[in-house]
Amino acid sequence: MSTQRVAVLGAGILGVRITRELLSPRAFGESPNLAVTTVTRRVDRLNLLRNQFGSQVQMLSDETGTGQLPKDITTVIVARAAGEQYEVAKEQLTLGRDVITTSDDPAEVQRLLELGAVATSVGKTLVVGAAFAPGLSCLLASHASELLDRVDEIHIARHGAGGPACASQRLRALRGTATDWRDGAWVKRPGFSGRELCWFPDPIGARDCYRAALADPLVLVPAFPDVTRVTARLAATRRDRVLAPFPVWLPAPAEGGIGAVRVELRGERDGRREWVVYGVLDRPAVAAAATAAVTALWLGSRRVAPGATGLAGLGATSELLGELAFRGVRAAVFEGSQGS
Amino acid sequence: MRGLQRAVLALGLGLLVSLVVRFLGGDPTAPATGGWRELSGPDLR
Repeated sequence: MSTQRVAVLGAGILGVRITRELLSPRAFGESPNLAVTTVTRRVDRLNLLRNQFGSQVQMLSDETGTGQLPKDITTVIVARAAGEQYEVAKEQLTLGRDVITTSDDPAEVQRLLELGAVATSVGKTLVVGAAFAPGLSCLLASHASELLDRVDEIHIARHGAGGPACASQRLRALRGTATDWRDGAWVKRPGFSGRELCWFPDPIGARDCYRAALADPLVLVPAFPDVTRVTARLAATRRDRVLAPFPVWLPAPAEGGIGAVRVELRGERDGRREWVVYGVLDRPAVAAAATAAVTALWLGSRRVAPGATGLAGLGATSELLGELAFRGVRAAVFEGSQGS
Repeated sequence: MRGLQRAVLALGLGLLVSLVVRFLGGDPTAPATGGWRELSGPDLR
Protein backbone atom coordinates (compact mmCIF):
# COMPACT_ATOMS: atom_id res chain seq x y z
CA MET A 1 0.00 0.00 0.00
CA SER A 2 1.41 3.40 -0.95
CA THR A 3 1.82 6.07 1.70
CA GLN A 4 -0.86 8.76 1.85
CA ARG A 5 0.74 12.10 2.59
CA VAL A 6 -1.60 14.55 4.26
CA ALA A 7 -0.90 18.18 5.08
CA VAL A 8 -2.88 20.15 7.64
CA LEU A 9 -2.71 23.89 6.98
CA GLY A 10 -3.30 25.63 10.27
CA ALA A 11 -2.39 24.66 13.81
CA GLY A 12 -5.05 26.30 15.91
CA ILE A 13 -7.51 24.34 18.05
CA LEU A 14 -8.94 22.64 14.97
CA GLY A 15 -5.67 22.01 13.13
CA VAL A 16 -4.01 20.35 16.11
CA ARG A 17 -7.03 18.16 16.77
CA ILE A 18 -7.12 17.13 13.09
CA THR A 19 -3.44 16.19 13.31
CA ARG A 20 -4.16 14.05 16.37
CA GLU A 21 -7.09 12.34 14.63
CA LEU A 22 -4.92 11.55 11.60
CA LEU A 23 -2.39 9.84 13.87
CA SER A 24 -5.01 7.34 15.05
CA PRO A 25 -3.65 3.80 14.49
CA ARG A 26 -6.82 2.53 12.78
CA ALA A 27 -9.12 3.99 10.15
CA PHE A 28 -11.97 2.22 8.37
CA GLY A 29 -10.87 -1.10 9.89
CA GLU A 30 -7.32 -0.90 8.54
CA SER A 31 -3.98 0.48 9.64
CA PRO A 32 -3.44 3.57 7.49
CA ASN A 33 -0.04 4.08 5.88
CA LEU A 34 0.09 7.78 6.53
CA ALA A 35 2.57 10.64 6.77
CA VAL A 36 1.32 13.88 8.32
CA THR A 37 2.66 17.38 7.82
CA THR A 38 1.24 20.28 9.82
CA VAL A 39 1.90 23.85 8.79
CA THR A 40 1.54 26.89 11.02
CA ARG A 41 2.10 30.60 10.52
CA ARG A 42 2.90 31.13 14.21
CA VAL A 43 6.46 30.47 15.31
CA ASP A 44 5.56 30.09 19.00
CA ARG A 45 3.01 27.43 18.07
CA LEU A 46 5.55 25.65 15.86
CA ASN A 47 8.02 25.04 18.68
CA LEU A 48 5.29 23.97 21.09
CA LEU A 49 3.85 21.46 18.63
CA ARG A 50 7.26 20.11 17.62
CA ASN A 51 7.77 19.18 21.26
CA GLN A 52 4.29 17.73 21.49
CA PHE A 53 4.23 15.57 18.36
CA GLY A 54 7.95 14.75 18.08
CA SER A 55 8.88 12.77 14.99
CA GLN A 56 5.31 11.62 14.35
CA VAL A 57 4.46 14.82 12.51
CA GLN A 58 6.54 16.96 10.17
CA MET A 59 6.01 20.49 11.47
CA LEU A 60 6.57 23.29 8.97
CA SER A 61 6.62 27.04 9.41
CA ASP A 62 4.69 29.18 6.96
CA GLU A 63 5.12 32.71 8.21
CA THR A 64 4.26 34.17 4.82
CA GLY A 65 1.03 32.18 4.65
CA THR A 66 1.68 30.94 1.12
CA GLY A 67 1.30 27.29 2.01
CA GLN A 68 4.45 25.97 0.27
CA LEU A 69 4.36 22.23 0.81
CA PRO A 70 6.58 19.26 -0.07
CA LYS A 71 5.77 17.98 -3.58
CA ASP A 72 4.67 14.50 -2.49
CA ILE A 73 1.68 15.75 -0.45
CA THR A 74 -1.49 14.18 -1.89
CA THR A 75 -4.22 15.53 0.37
CA VAL A 76 -4.52 18.93 2.04
CA ILE A 77 -6.82 19.84 4.91
CA VAL A 78 -7.30 23.58 5.29
CA ALA A 79 -7.85 24.37 8.99
CA ARG A 80 -7.39 28.12 8.90
CA ALA A 81 -10.01 30.57 10.14
CA ALA A 82 -13.19 30.91 8.10
CA GLY A 83 -12.64 33.53 5.40
CA GLU A 84 -8.94 32.63 4.97
CA GLN A 85 -9.37 29.34 3.15
CA TYR A 86 -10.34 30.11 -0.45
CA GLU A 87 -6.98 31.24 -1.86
CA VAL A 88 -4.97 28.42 -0.35
CA ALA A 89 -7.59 25.82 -1.32
CA LYS A 90 -7.57 27.02 -4.92
CA GLU A 91 -3.77 26.99 -5.02
CA GLN A 92 -3.50 23.47 -3.62
CA LEU A 93 -6.23 22.20 -5.93
CA THR A 94 -4.52 23.55 -9.02
CA LEU A 95 -1.31 21.85 -7.84
CA GLY A 96 -3.19 18.55 -8.22
CA ARG A 97 -4.08 17.72 -4.62
CA ASP A 98 -7.34 16.65 -3.04
CA VAL A 99 -8.43 19.47 -0.73
CA ILE A 100 -10.69 19.42 2.32
CA THR A 101 -11.87 22.77 3.66
CA THR A 102 -13.44 23.47 7.03
CA SER A 103 -14.87 26.95 6.48
CA ASP A 104 -18.38 27.80 7.66
CA ASP A 105 -18.38 31.29 6.15
CA PRO A 106 -21.22 31.26 3.58
CA ALA A 107 -19.56 33.67 1.12
CA GLU A 108 -16.38 31.62 1.16
CA VAL A 109 -18.25 28.32 0.91
CA GLN A 110 -20.08 29.63 -2.16
CA ARG A 111 -16.77 30.61 -3.80
CA LEU A 112 -15.27 27.23 -2.93
CA LEU A 113 -18.22 25.41 -4.49
CA GLU A 114 -17.62 27.44 -7.65
CA LEU A 115 -14.18 25.80 -7.90
CA GLY A 116 -15.94 22.61 -9.01
CA ALA A 117 -14.90 23.10 -12.63
CA VAL A 118 -11.25 23.58 -11.59
CA ALA A 119 -11.39 20.42 -9.47
CA THR A 120 -12.91 18.42 -12.32
CA SER A 121 -10.31 19.71 -14.79
CA VAL A 122 -7.43 18.51 -12.58
CA GLY A 123 -9.26 15.28 -11.65
CA LYS A 124 -9.25 16.02 -7.91
CA THR A 125 -11.87 16.35 -5.20
CA LEU A 126 -12.57 19.51 -3.23
CA VAL A 127 -14.65 18.80 -0.13
CA VAL A 128 -16.32 21.99 1.04
CA GLY A 129 -17.25 22.47 4.69
CA ALA A 130 -15.98 19.27 6.34
CA ALA A 131 -16.40 20.40 9.93
CA PHE A 132 -19.18 20.41 12.54
CA ALA A 133 -21.88 22.36 10.68
CA PRO A 134 -21.55 22.20 7.77
CA GLY A 135 -19.88 18.81 7.68
CA LEU A 136 -21.27 16.51 10.30
CA SER A 137 -24.67 18.15 9.75
CA CYS A 138 -24.48 17.17 6.05
CA LEU A 139 -23.64 13.56 6.92
CA LEU A 140 -26.59 13.41 9.33
CA ALA A 141 -28.94 14.90 6.73
CA SER A 142 -27.72 12.44 4.12
CA HIS A 143 -28.17 9.48 6.46
CA ALA A 144 -31.60 10.63 7.65
CA SER A 145 -32.75 11.06 4.05
CA GLU A 146 -32.42 7.31 3.57
CA LEU A 147 -35.30 6.87 6.04
CA LEU A 148 -37.65 8.88 3.83
CA ASP A 149 -38.97 8.26 0.32
CA ARG A 150 -38.93 11.97 -0.44
CA VAL A 151 -37.26 14.83 1.42
CA ASP A 152 -39.08 18.17 1.33
CA GLU A 153 -37.42 20.15 4.10
CA ILE A 154 -34.10 20.15 5.93
CA HIS A 155 -33.64 22.28 9.05
CA ILE A 156 -30.26 22.52 10.77
CA ALA A 157 -29.61 23.98 14.20
CA ARG A 158 -26.24 24.32 15.91
CA HIS A 159 -25.20 25.12 19.45
CA GLY A 160 -21.67 26.09 20.49
CA ALA A 161 -18.38 27.01 18.85
CA GLY A 162 -14.88 25.51 18.61
CA GLY A 163 -11.86 27.75 19.06
CA PRO A 164 -11.63 31.57 19.20
CA ALA A 165 -11.80 31.92 15.39
CA CYS A 166 -14.95 29.81 15.36
CA ALA A 167 -16.47 31.91 18.14
CA SER A 168 -15.78 35.09 16.14
CA GLN A 169 -17.35 33.54 13.05
CA ARG A 170 -20.40 32.59 15.15
CA LEU A 171 -20.88 36.22 16.15
CA ARG A 172 -20.44 37.40 12.56
CA ALA A 173 -23.02 34.83 11.47
CA LEU A 174 -25.58 36.01 14.02
CA ARG A 175 -25.07 39.62 12.97
CA GLY A 176 -25.13 38.76 9.27
CA THR A 177 -27.80 37.84 6.75
CA ALA A 178 -29.18 34.32 6.58
CA THR A 179 -29.71 32.62 3.23
CA ASP A 180 -32.57 30.11 3.26
CA TRP A 181 -33.65 27.88 0.39
CA ARG A 182 -37.38 28.22 -0.18
CA ASP A 183 -39.38 26.86 -3.13
CA GLY A 184 -36.46 26.80 -5.52
CA ALA A 185 -34.98 30.21 -4.67
CA TRP A 186 -32.58 31.71 -2.17
CA VAL A 187 -34.27 33.99 0.34
CA LYS A 188 -32.31 36.51 2.42
CA ARG A 189 -33.39 37.02 6.02
CA PRO A 190 -31.81 39.11 8.79
CA GLY A 191 -29.74 37.38 11.44
CA PHE A 192 -31.34 37.03 14.87
CA SER A 193 -34.78 36.67 13.27
CA GLY A 194 -37.01 33.59 13.14
CA ARG A 195 -36.59 32.47 16.75
CA GLU A 196 -37.36 28.79 17.15
CA LEU A 197 -37.06 26.53 20.18
CA CYS A 198 -34.96 23.52 19.22
CA TRP A 199 -34.33 20.46 21.35
CA PHE A 200 -30.74 19.24 21.28
CA PRO A 201 -29.48 15.99 22.81
CA ASP A 202 -29.18 16.07 26.61
CA PRO A 203 -27.70 17.73 28.61
CA ILE A 204 -28.08 20.75 26.30
CA GLY A 205 -31.83 20.36 25.86
CA ALA A 206 -33.97 23.25 24.63
CA ARG A 207 -32.32 26.34 23.14
CA ASP A 208 -33.63 29.34 21.29
CA CYS A 209 -32.22 29.26 17.78
CA TYR A 210 -32.11 32.17 15.34
CA ARG A 211 -31.42 32.63 11.66
CA ALA A 212 -27.79 33.45 10.93
CA ALA A 213 -25.37 33.65 8.02
CA LEU A 214 -24.61 29.94 7.88
CA ALA A 215 -23.24 27.81 5.07
CA ASP A 216 -25.23 24.60 5.56
CA PRO A 217 -27.98 25.37 3.00
CA LEU A 218 -25.34 26.14 0.34
CA VAL A 219 -23.80 22.66 0.56
CA LEU A 220 -27.05 20.79 1.19
CA VAL A 221 -29.14 22.09 -1.71
CA PRO A 222 -26.84 20.63 -4.43
CA ALA A 223 -27.00 17.25 -2.66
CA PHE A 224 -30.82 17.33 -2.39
CA PRO A 225 -31.99 18.93 -5.65
CA ASP A 226 -35.70 18.22 -5.00
CA VAL A 227 -35.83 19.76 -1.54
CA THR A 228 -38.15 22.77 -1.16
CA ARG A 229 -36.90 24.28 2.11
CA VAL A 230 -33.48 24.33 3.75
CA THR A 231 -32.79 26.51 6.77
CA ALA A 232 -29.97 26.80 9.30
CA ARG A 233 -30.12 28.35 12.73
CA LEU A 234 -27.72 29.08 15.56
CA ALA A 235 -28.48 28.76 19.25
CA ALA A 236 -28.10 32.08 21.04
CA THR A 237 -29.18 33.59 24.31
CA ARG A 238 -31.20 36.72 24.96
CA ARG A 239 -27.97 38.31 26.17
CA ASP A 240 -26.35 37.57 22.78
CA ARG A 241 -29.28 39.25 21.10
CA VAL A 242 -29.28 42.35 23.29
CA LEU A 243 -25.49 42.78 23.03
CA ALA A 244 -25.34 42.04 19.29
CA PRO A 245 -24.97 45.68 18.17
CA PHE A 246 -22.07 46.35 20.53
CA PRO A 247 -18.36 45.52 20.02
CA VAL A 248 -16.99 42.50 21.88
CA TRP A 249 -14.36 43.46 24.45
CA LEU A 250 -13.78 40.09 26.06
CA PRO A 251 -11.68 37.59 24.10
CA ALA A 252 -13.26 34.24 23.24
CA PRO A 253 -12.15 31.27 25.38
CA ALA A 254 -9.38 28.99 24.05
CA GLU A 255 -11.99 26.35 23.34
CA GLY A 256 -15.75 26.48 23.65
CA GLY A 257 -17.71 24.05 25.79
CA ILE A 258 -19.90 21.22 24.72
CA GLY A 259 -21.86 21.84 21.54
CA ALA A 260 -24.48 20.07 19.48
CA VAL A 261 -25.95 19.93 16.05
CA ARG A 262 -29.54 19.01 15.28
CA VAL A 263 -30.82 18.01 11.85
CA GLU A 264 -34.53 17.73 11.13
CA LEU A 265 -35.83 16.32 7.85
CA ARG A 266 -39.47 16.43 6.80
CA GLY A 267 -40.87 14.52 3.87
CA GLU A 268 -42.87 11.47 2.87
CA ARG A 269 -42.63 7.78 3.60
CA ASP A 270 -45.13 5.25 2.33
CA GLY A 271 -47.42 8.08 1.25
CA ARG A 272 -47.53 9.68 4.71
CA ARG A 273 -45.92 12.84 6.06
CA GLU A 274 -42.94 11.87 8.22
CA TRP A 275 -40.11 13.60 10.02
CA VAL A 276 -36.69 12.44 11.19
CA VAL A 277 -34.54 14.24 13.78
CA TYR A 278 -30.85 13.45 14.22
CA GLY A 279 -28.44 15.03 16.67
CA VAL A 280 -24.83 14.93 17.80
CA LEU A 281 -23.44 16.11 21.11
CA ASP A 282 -19.70 16.84 21.33
CA ARG A 283 -17.14 19.59 21.58
CA PRO A 284 -17.45 21.32 18.19
CA ALA A 285 -13.67 21.35 17.59
CA VAL A 286 -13.39 17.64 18.43
CA ALA A 287 -16.25 16.61 16.16
CA ALA A 288 -15.12 18.96 13.37
CA ALA A 289 -11.55 17.64 13.55
CA ALA A 290 -12.69 14.03 13.44
CA THR A 291 -14.95 14.78 10.47
CA ALA A 292 -12.19 16.50 8.49
CA ALA A 293 -9.65 13.79 9.33
CA VAL A 294 -11.84 10.81 8.39
CA THR A 295 -12.80 12.60 5.17
CA ALA A 296 -9.11 12.97 4.29
CA LEU A 297 -8.45 9.33 5.12
CA TRP A 298 -11.42 8.28 2.98
CA LEU A 299 -10.23 10.36 0.03
CA GLY A 300 -6.79 8.82 0.31
CA SER A 301 -7.99 5.25 0.25
CA ARG A 302 -10.93 5.32 -2.20
CA ARG A 303 -11.69 6.62 -5.65
CA VAL A 304 -13.99 9.60 -5.37
CA ALA A 305 -15.52 11.50 -8.29
CA PRO A 306 -13.63 14.73 -9.01
CA GLY A 307 -15.35 18.06 -8.40
CA ALA A 308 -16.43 20.24 -5.49
CA THR A 309 -18.94 18.82 -3.04
CA GLY A 310 -20.18 18.97 0.52
CA LEU A 311 -20.09 15.82 2.62
CA ALA A 312 -23.68 14.89 1.75
CA GLY A 313 -22.64 14.55 -1.89
CA LEU A 314 -19.49 12.53 -1.26
CA GLY A 315 -21.33 9.18 -1.36
CA ALA A 316 -19.73 7.78 1.78
CA THR A 317 -22.23 8.76 4.46
CA SER A 318 -22.51 5.45 6.34
CA GLU A 319 -18.79 4.75 6.16
CA LEU A 320 -17.87 8.19 7.50
CA LEU A 321 -20.50 8.12 10.25
CA GLY A 322 -19.39 4.61 11.22
CA GLU A 323 -15.77 5.71 11.49
CA LEU A 324 -16.79 8.82 13.44
CA ALA A 325 -18.78 6.65 15.86
CA PHE A 326 -15.69 4.45 16.27
CA ARG A 327 -13.76 7.60 17.22
CA GLY A 328 -16.39 8.64 19.77
CA VAL A 329 -18.43 11.12 17.72
CA ARG A 330 -21.77 9.41 18.03
CA ALA A 331 -24.97 10.48 16.32
CA ALA A 332 -28.39 9.96 17.90
CA VAL A 333 -31.91 9.83 16.55
CA PHE A 334 -34.88 11.39 18.33
CA GLU A 335 -37.69 8.91 18.80
CA GLY A 336 -40.92 10.31 20.14
CA SER A 337 -43.60 12.92 19.67
CA GLN A 338 -43.48 15.34 16.77
CA GLY A 339 -42.54 18.94 17.38
CA SER A 340 -39.46 18.12 19.41
CA MET B 1 -55.19 66.15 27.67
CA ARG B 2 -56.34 63.67 30.31
CA GLY B 3 -57.16 61.12 27.57
CA LEU B 4 -53.68 61.49 26.13
CA GLN B 5 -52.10 60.90 29.55
CA ARG B 6 -54.15 57.74 30.02
CA ALA B 7 -53.20 56.51 26.55
CA VAL B 8 -49.50 57.11 27.21
CA LEU B 9 -49.78 55.39 30.59
CA ALA B 10 -51.53 52.39 29.01
CA LEU B 11 -48.89 52.16 26.28
CA GLY B 12 -46.09 52.36 28.83
CA LEU B 13 -47.61 49.66 31.01
CA GLY B 14 -48.18 47.46 27.98
CA LEU B 15 -44.58 47.92 26.89
CA LEU B 16 -43.31 47.13 30.39
CA VAL B 17 -45.38 43.95 30.66
CA SER B 18 -44.35 42.79 27.19
CA LEU B 19 -40.66 43.36 27.99
CA VAL B 20 -40.97 41.39 31.24
CA VAL B 21 -42.68 38.51 29.44
CA ARG B 22 -40.22 38.69 26.55
CA PHE B 23 -37.04 38.60 28.58
CA LEU B 24 -38.08 36.40 31.48
CA GLY B 25 -40.13 33.89 29.56
CA GLY B 26 -40.92 30.54 31.06
CA ASP B 27 -39.50 27.05 31.07
CA PRO B 28 -39.84 25.46 27.66
CA THR B 29 -42.24 22.58 27.42
CA ALA B 30 -40.38 19.34 26.97
CA PRO B 31 -41.53 16.87 24.33
CA ALA B 32 -44.36 14.79 25.80
CA THR B 33 -42.81 11.47 24.91
CA GLY B 34 -39.62 10.11 23.43
CA GLY B 35 -35.92 10.67 23.71
CA TRP B 36 -32.59 10.34 21.97
CA ARG B 37 -31.28 6.92 20.94
CA GLU B 38 -27.67 6.58 19.91
CA LEU B 39 -27.18 5.26 16.38
CA SER B 40 -25.33 1.97 16.52
CA GLY B 41 -23.92 -0.59 14.08
CA PRO B 42 -27.09 -1.64 12.22
CA ASP B 43 -28.18 2.00 11.79
CA LEU B 44 -24.89 2.89 10.15
CA ARG B 45 -24.85 0.15 7.51
